[in-house]
Order: sequence, then C-alpha cells, then structure tokens
Amino acid sequence: MSKQKELENVVGQLRSAVPDITGVIVASSDGLSLAGDLPEGELARAAAMTATAASLGRRITDTLELGSAEEFAVKGQQGYLLVYRAGDKAVIGVAARAGANIGLINLEVRSATEKIAAVLG
Amino acid sequence: MNGERLKLVISGPVGAGKTTFVASLSDIPVVNTDEVSSELIGKSTTTVALDFGALTLDGIQVYLFGTPGQERFAFAWDTLLEGAFGLVFLVAGNQPATFPTARRMLDYLTTNFPVPFVVGVTRKDLAQVWSAEEVASYFRLPAPHVLAVNATSREDCREVLLQILRFWGVAGTKIPPEKAEHAGTSSH
Repeated sequence: MSKQKELENVVGQLRSAVPDITGVIVASSDGLSLAGDLPEGELARAAAMTATAASLGRRITDTLELGSAEEFAVKGQQGYLLVYRAGDKAVIGVAARAGANIGLINLEVRSATEKIAAVLG
Repeated sequence: MNGERLKLVISGPVGAGKTTFVASLSDIPVVNTDEVSSELIGKSTTTVALDFGALTLDGIQVYLFGTPGQERFAFAWDTLLEGAFGLVFLVAGNQPATFPTARRMLDYLTTNFPVPFVVGVTRKDLAQVWSAEEVASYFRLPAPHVLAVNATSREDCREVLLQILRFWGVAGTKIPPEKAEHAGTSSH
C-alpha cells in the first residue's frame, strides 16, 4: 500500500472513531497537505494553518517552559480546530463540533499520530 | 521619538534571508519557528509562523517580525503586517528566478499595507549577484527604496532600518552627504 493510501486510512479511521470530528488534515511540518478529508479547495490552506499552529504552539511551550507540546487548540463558537504533532515530519489538524468530546479525540488522535509517524518513518 | 515602540516586518520570498536578517539585527535572542523543509528550497529549514526579534535604536524600541516566504502562508502575512510602521522586503540577489514571485508578493503587501518599505537585495557578498540598481529597475522602484544587503551583516541590516526611519522623516537620522546626492534625484 502506498504511503498516501496508508495516511488516508488513518484519516478515515479517525473520522469513524469519533462522530464529532468534522474534518481531518495531515500535513508536513512545513505546511504541505499529505492527506485529509476536507473539501479539495480547503486542503492546502488547512495544511499551512495547521503547520503554523503546531510550530507556534511548540515555540510557546519551549519559550514559556510549559513542557513538551501536546496540542494547540483553537476554539470558536461553532467548533474547534485541534492541532497535534505526528512525529517529527508531520502535523495533524482535527476539526470538531462545538461540545465535542475532546478527551476521546485526544485519545484517538494519539494512536493516529503514532501510525502517521510510523508511515512516514 | 524616545520611548516609542515600532513594528518592522521583514518579508520576501523563500530563501531571501529574512530569518538571517532578523537574527543579525536583533539585540535579544530571536524566537524562530523553523521546521524541516519537505521541499527543495536550497536549505534544510523554513519559517512556518514567524521570527521575532527586538532592538533599541536611538531610544526607539523596534520589534522585528519575520514572515514565512511561501505563498501558502499568506494568511499569516496579514496578521504579521498589522500595525507595522515599515516593511523590509528581501529578495536574493543571486536568485533572479524568484523575482516574478517576489514582484507579485511585493505588490500584494504594499497594496494591502501601504507603509514605507525598502527592498533589500541580499547576498551582496557573492560574485554573481544582481545590483541594487538592476533590481530597482526590474521592480520599477526609485533608487532610495532598493539597497544591497549582506543579511549576515548587522550594519547592513541596520542601514535598511535607518532608511525606513528616514522615509518617516525621523529627526536624528540625517542622510549622510554621499547618500543625499543619490536619494530622490534622477540619474547622474
């Protein structure tokens, strides 16, 4: 199976594990889309923003000595974007509805990020 | 302008030397957001959010904000440029292939953020490099707006900042006589 297909599977599994998730983007750490289930026109933009958020989050946790970065959460009235590192080379952005079960998302994302890191090596 | 706090933005295409420029000019340790580049851009890392530095010049506190260069990060340019008093737009003098992209980017930035700006042509220390005059001609900019820069040289970077302050007519930053001859006058 190609790496692309493996990443798409991880995205699909994450979606089906948590109904509150409305979209997933997997991007390289420098903001290029690797896989995702957002509408085509939104992938590139979401990939760049996810990478920016992840990097900024890590810079903040390093500078303010908050320990190793776990997530960067953007919360709007109508939903969330949760951003996590997925190994050294990739980041993952998860869009979720307002009122979503963040604890469950964090749990499912952990295994997703491990798979992504394994695929990308 | 004592006690004044100003925001200077450093932008330009990928690999022009923005992160280096901020590092050269900053008095404080710079806050970077570098990530490993998955594309071939001539170097291993690239800025994905911003560079942040600061310096004090003639009693003025200047905050430096370096932007990412790739157009996919254009959403960040708007945020970073808000409230800026000046823009330093760097282009690599040894990479004329980046000029068309640079021109588009400069047009976008100066249209949406009409602040005094200087184009810095970096890599001036290299042998095969476009001169400031050649770049000024290409971008159709008046000579005082285009300076040759070695982005690793604190003095060169400082000169760019001073030029922007001069455009604001800041007292105490008089143009030295030899530069006054060239500034704002036609070719001679």
